[in-house]
Amino acid sequence: MRKSFMQSLQIGFMAAASIAILPSMSVAGTYDLTVDRVIIDTGDFQKEGIGYNGKSPGPVLRFKEGEDVTINVTNNLDESTSIHWHGLILPFQMDGVPKISFPGIEPGENFTYKFPIIQSGTYWFHSHSGFQEPDGAYGSIVIEPEKRDPFRFDKDYVVQFTDTHPHSGKRIFRNLKMSADYYNRQQQTLGDFFSDVRKNGLKATIDDRMAWGDMRMMKTDIEDVQGFTPLINGKGPEQNWTGLFEPKERIRLRLVNSSAMTYFDVCIPGLKMTVVAADGNNVQPVTVDELRLGVAETYDVIVRPMDDKAYTIFGASMGRTAYARATLAPREGMVAEIPEMTKAPLLTMADMGMDHGNMAGMDHSNMKGMDHSSMKGMDHSNMKGMDHSNMKGMEQEKDSFYANGSGLVPTAANGGKFLSYADLKAQKPLYEDREATREIELRLTGNMERYIWSINGVKYEDADPIVLQYGERVRFKFVNETMMTHPMHLHGMWSILDVGAGKWDPAKHTISVAPGTTVYSETEVDAPGQWAFHCHLSFHMDAGMFRKIFVEGGPKSASLNPSEQGVLQ
Amino acid sequence: METGIGTENMKIKRTFLSGVAGATLTAVLALSSAIAFAAGNHHGSHGEKSVIGISGNAADVTRTIEIKMGDNFYEPEEISIKKGETVRFKIINTGEFVHEFNIGTAAMHAAHQEEMMMMVEHGVLEVDKINRDMMKMDMGNGKTMEHNDPNSVLLEPKETAEIVWKFTDDAELEFACNVPGHYASGMMGEVHFE
Amino acid sequence: MIILKKSLLAAALTFSVLTPVVGHSAETSNIYYGVQIEEFEYRYGEGGEKLFAFDGDAFIGTDELKLRWEGSSELDLTVNRFESLSNQLALQTPISDFWDIKGGVRYTSPEGPDRWYAAVGLSGLAPQWIEVDTHLFLSEKGKLSADIDIEYEILLTNYLTLTPSANIDAAFSSDREIGVGSGINRVEAGLRLSYDVWDRILSPYVGVVYERKFGQTANYVEEEGERADIWYAVIGAKLMF
Repeated sequence: MRKSFMQSLQIGFMAAASIAILPSMSVAGTYDLTVDRVIIDTGDFQKEGIGYNGKSPGPVLRFKEGEDVTINVTNNLDESTSIHWHGLILPFQMDGVPKISFPGIEPGENFTYKFPIIQSGTYWFHSHSGFQEPDGAYGSIVIEPEKRDPFRFDKDYVVQFTDTHPHSGKRIFRNLKMSADYYNRQQQTLGDFFSDVRKNGLKATIDDRMAWGDMRMMKTDIEDVQGFTPLINGKGPEQNWTGLFEPKERIRLRLVNSSAMTYFDVCIPGLKMTVVAADGNNVQPVTVDELRLGVAETYDVIVRPMDDKAYTIFGASMGRTAYARATLAPREGMVAEIPEMTKAPLLTMADMGMDHGNMAGMDHSNMKGMDHSSMKGMDHSNMKGMDHSNMKGMEQEKDSFYANGSGLVPTAANGGKFLSYADLKAQKPLYEDREATREIELRLTGNMERYIWSINGVKYEDADPIVLQYGERVRFKFVNETMMTHPMHLHGMWSILDVGAGKWDPAKHTISVAPGTTVYSETEVDAPGQWAFHCHLSFHMDAGMFRKIFVEGGPKSASLNPSEQGVLQ
Repeated sequence: METGIGTENMKIKRTFLSGVAGATLTAVLALSSAIAFAAGNHHGSHGEKSVIGISGNAADVTRTIEIKMGDNFYEPEEISIKKGETVRFKIINTGEFVHEFNIGTAAMHAAHQEEMMMMVEHGVLEVDKINRDMMKMDMGNGKTMEHNDPNSVLLEPKETAEIVWKFTDDAELEFACNVPGHYASGMMGEVHFE
Repeated sequence: MIILKKSLLAAALTFSVLTPVVGHSAETSNIYYGVQIEEFEYRYGEGGEKLFAFDGDAFIGTDELKLRWEGSSELDLTVNRFESLSNQLALQTPISDFWDIKGGVRYTSPEGPDRWYAAVGLSGLAPQWIEVDTHLFLSEKGKLSADIDIEYEILLTNYLTLTPSANIDAAFSSDREIGVGSGINRVEAGLRLSYDVWDRILSPYVGVVYERKFGQTANYVEEEGERADIWYAVIGAKLMF
């Protein structure tokens, strides 16, 4: 405790001092990254992948707010590469998306990224080329704030989740294109049929199977890609990454999900987590038992173990096909019990964006003649008034970020509080709240069977860029018409998630949109140039759920000619 | 099944009845304040027996400690006290959120946090505003949500307050902000006895 | 030989159609390929018949346009001759969420006279997860015929699959030279129990197949001293890569 007291005193002095000194003082740091072929050992299997500075995950890059960073990247691969600084606000030429920000970094070449750090918090970086990211090309970023954080911690750990698959990204994608359910080993079987018959009766079970069969969709279609080993900081469940603490210390865990495809429900049995930041931005602290870490999101949580014992950091994949495990312990080698995963969720008709009376004895008479294609045009605004009063499973808490009656609504394993997007409120809003100048509707669309993913029914390769005007505030309306959850990531500008909190709405870089829901976010268009906007599930992005954003106008300094600013050597 | 659904609906509705003291709320509040009292939050008449100390006399004040409230932390985060000392706390909310300064034991704070959570859920407490009229509302058993205990103050941004407190015992005490999330994210400080 | 050259030419032509798409290099290629062998099996008939049977396809292309090769054969192992042998090369394009149409050429070259066909087809996933693949053929002799393949997978577990399938051939007019009578002339029904031992790459199976020929077609085979209906026990493997 004394230490933290001293620390905060020091920080207090430094903050006071820096006000006077900073304007004349500019911190500059140089960092070197090599992009390498590496061996990844998950404990279950070894594979060749891609990493940084000889390792996957790559290093934790530690920057300071106000610093001008220079990052020299050397491509040791035999293919083109790139690095995108996920969540960082920077000139678009430094954003690292081939063909949008810059041409990419060819084999054997160097590229020097130079940009000022104008934010703080937890972020990450990854390749934006080919399937390098699912193959292991990621690392994390920790930016120390200029002023003190609005919370206290004695220890600080990055907890980076990844989903390492024995297959290469390229192969996974081809397999999905060949057979969309290639990796789904959780499909309903004949055994499930009989157990459902016992539970719900023969007619109800047949009706249920017919309804889903009619759509040619699966209730178990929650994870497109199964068979991976979840890692935390590069360690599999058996390898057990361990963070040390002394009892009563406050530990800041920087949860980062760098997975290609996997959402994790994260809890630490025996400890409450106080969420203090989401996607790098501080939020008003909210104490929870469990949270869902969407792909590409970050959450900072404070935990305070009071006892001299080990605690398990447990991250069950959303489809419950695998779990990540790490340990917080007073001493190396101590372990705690690994909890059982709770039951795998099943999608419901609500996740399909469809009306329904009650799930158990559902009357399908109206559904028989339903044309699948007509679902597309369904007006989701009418869904609000749907009567779900007869639904089973209503005991669960409502979460407005899931469809009413959704099978995906998370519940904490210990029955406690599960974080909702609705709980996220900005600690210090980045922008003044104002009316959006216009709304852009983005329907998240796809064809699961063909493994085609798109926006407004159009794949990236066939789509025109979305043109925004510098200085406007755009309201994006995401309408998820698919049965998958899509983490939508806008580069270069913040997405202010509409949680209904007005000026306290939190600014995020990745907005997870659950099936059958409509979610709004607003963006202050304050970054000229061209940017990427896409679903962060790697294989959805590659399949076409991607758009180029073109910001018209703004300061001239942001020239659209990449060669003027990018330093290709 | 029918009745089960009925209760379920009622429960959901109730959480939307912000600011209205439903029957459940009254009961829970009464219960949790009873817990808090049992934990020693009762002052005044039983003052001598309370480990946290008692409301002090201005005449006995030996020194003034200034406590700045930020979002969401105190400055300082640690104070040193002599057993039996009477201290004047000058508390300034320099932040943009509502904050509390409350002297108590960790257990008392934990119990009080549940009450504060309820105040937020019922709209009594907003992020940057205290609806003091609602706090005065009778919860049905003569108790209110008012923060008029001498060991604590609840301040809106820019507000200041003073507390004169006599530390009668060298118990393990903390000063804390029990606004939801604040204590857990570190808005508390230790009272050390010399 | 000439025929082989012809089919190579056809392949070359179709690939050249695709080349511009290949040339358009996105960060990740949007050209996919795949090979699926549904049947690769040894059949043992109730009368001691020994056959090797094969049914598979391979494709390369984009979401919008694929070149697909489909091949099937039955090799009588006792006399070492092809009872049936068919190769088809077609371009395939989606027409709805679950259905593709295809058009191309088919060449059959079993023991006996060969035939070229123009082929059009419809394949996809019908409601209730029923896989359907059907064609209409016009032979170089001007004869019209059709076939339909349907298949359904029953998951006993997520690795152990029971697959009933049916295959029906029909002709709108007879082509005596190749032993085809008009009407429904052949039905093959199968039931295979497979287990995925290596991803979905290799799934060995055992099963039964019932084959029955009808009408004129039945007469033709019976004239040759063969049975018009026959049960087989089969053992083989599904392959996908």
